[in-house]
Amino acid sequence: MSVRYALLGLLKQQPRYGYELRAAFIALAGGVEAWEVKPAQIYTTLNRMVESGLVEKQLNESDGSDEKVVFSLTPSGEAEFAGWLGQGILDDPQQDPFYLKLMLSLELPDVDAGRLIQTQRATLYQELHRITTVRTSLDPHTELARILLMDKAIMHLEADLRWLDMIEARLEDVKKQPAPHAELRPRGRPARTA
Amino acid sequence: MSIIQVKELSKVYGEGNSTVTALNGIDLSVEQGQFVAVMGPSGCGKSTLLHLIGGLDRPTSGSVWIEGKDISVMKDDNLTELRRRRMGFVFQFFNLIPVLNAKENAALPLILDGVKPETAYARAAEWLERNQMGDRLNHRPDQLSGGQQQRVAIARALVADPVMLLADEPTGNLDSKSSDEIAGLLRHAVSDWGRTVLMVTHDPRIAAYADRIVFLKDGRVVDDTLLDAGNADNSRLLKEKVNLL
Repeated sequence: MSVRYALLGLLKQQPRYGYELRAAFIALAGGVEAWEVKPAQIYTTLNRMVESGLVEKQLNESDGSDEKVVFSLTPSGEAEFAGWLGQGILDDPQQDPFYLKLMLSLELPDVDAGRLIQTQRATLYQELHRITTVRTSLDPHTELARILLMDKAIMHLEADLRWLDMIEARLEDVKKQPAPHAELRPRGRPARTA
Repeated sequence: MSIIQVKELSKVYGEGNSTVTALNGIDLSVEQGQFVAVMGPSGCGKSTLLHLIGGLDRPTSGSVWIEGKDISVMKDDNLTELRRRRMGFVFQFFNLIPVLNAKENAALPLILDGVKPETAYARAAEWLERNQMGDRLNHRPDQLSGGQQQRVAIARALVADPVMLLADEPTGNLDSKSSDEIAGLLRHAVSDWGRTVLMVTHDPRIAAYADRIVFLKDGRVVDDTLLDAGNADNSRLLKEKVNLL
């Protein structure tokens, strides 16, 4: 979703060729390791915005490929971008794959929640180590912005690790409580097969 | 040969009704040139483990082997000498002598070992230089920041050219910027100066500088993870991304 607004912002700076936009987005977002986006995704997003009147496509003597077409911002697109700038943004931390794993482990008798927690902890530490290594290699005089991005990743990993400690400490209590109840609306009986 | 090896190590404090089992049959090996972090909740035995490895305390049962020698049966004199020559200690509260300046603090282990003051001070100055403290040789601890004091302490720990550093919460008393610097310095001691470092910490950010984390709980090892594991996996991921460009 944010990719589309970032493209609007880049076009607000100046009109650009299709192929430029992908490279500019990746540079803006902190490099391929930070935010991988396929060319198809960029062009699909651009074309949708052309359809909704946010972006204009200047058709030159191009061979029909979006790479060599110049895209530019419309007044609508500018207003849309301004709207995005003016609003706060929230991530959704509640859609958590590890939480699903944990809840499943409570339902399945042969899955050890303690082991799951330790495996997750090890994975988080490996990632923390990787990011710390990258961060140490960055030059604070020229790459401070990227360092700040690494710092965010580090802080989130620290928070995730603290959460694991918390789960571990309360695991026995969680296990004693009733499992979440699936709410089923009453429907007709399933048809009988002969 | 592992540089540090611990076999069925146990430590029990107290007697009768009030015994506390700090370590419960730990087995552990550390290879030369490894940077190992030991982590776990309060009371898991991590500081006790470090103290036993450093010969600062004796086990209740089991053994500690340093460079192939069983230190748990060594006489006090021999143990003291081994500690002074083969190990360097770094503590949470720096433990510098307030009336001595940086150079004098760093030189102390050599002076105690009978090295000529001239030589001792020269070596201390070298190590302080390497720790970015070359311009503060005559500063006393009260004239130094926490991070600077810890750099002096690390120079002191290295001055006798030990094979290993044992660090107990080395960043526990530092702000996050200084903590990163000290962790980086310990990393440097391994990657560039060829030491082995065993570090107790409760700070994940600092543990991330290590090669390996050993997790303790209730006096036992509950997990042991290499942090650079799956090098093969990592390079595969990278190749995938390059293809998408």
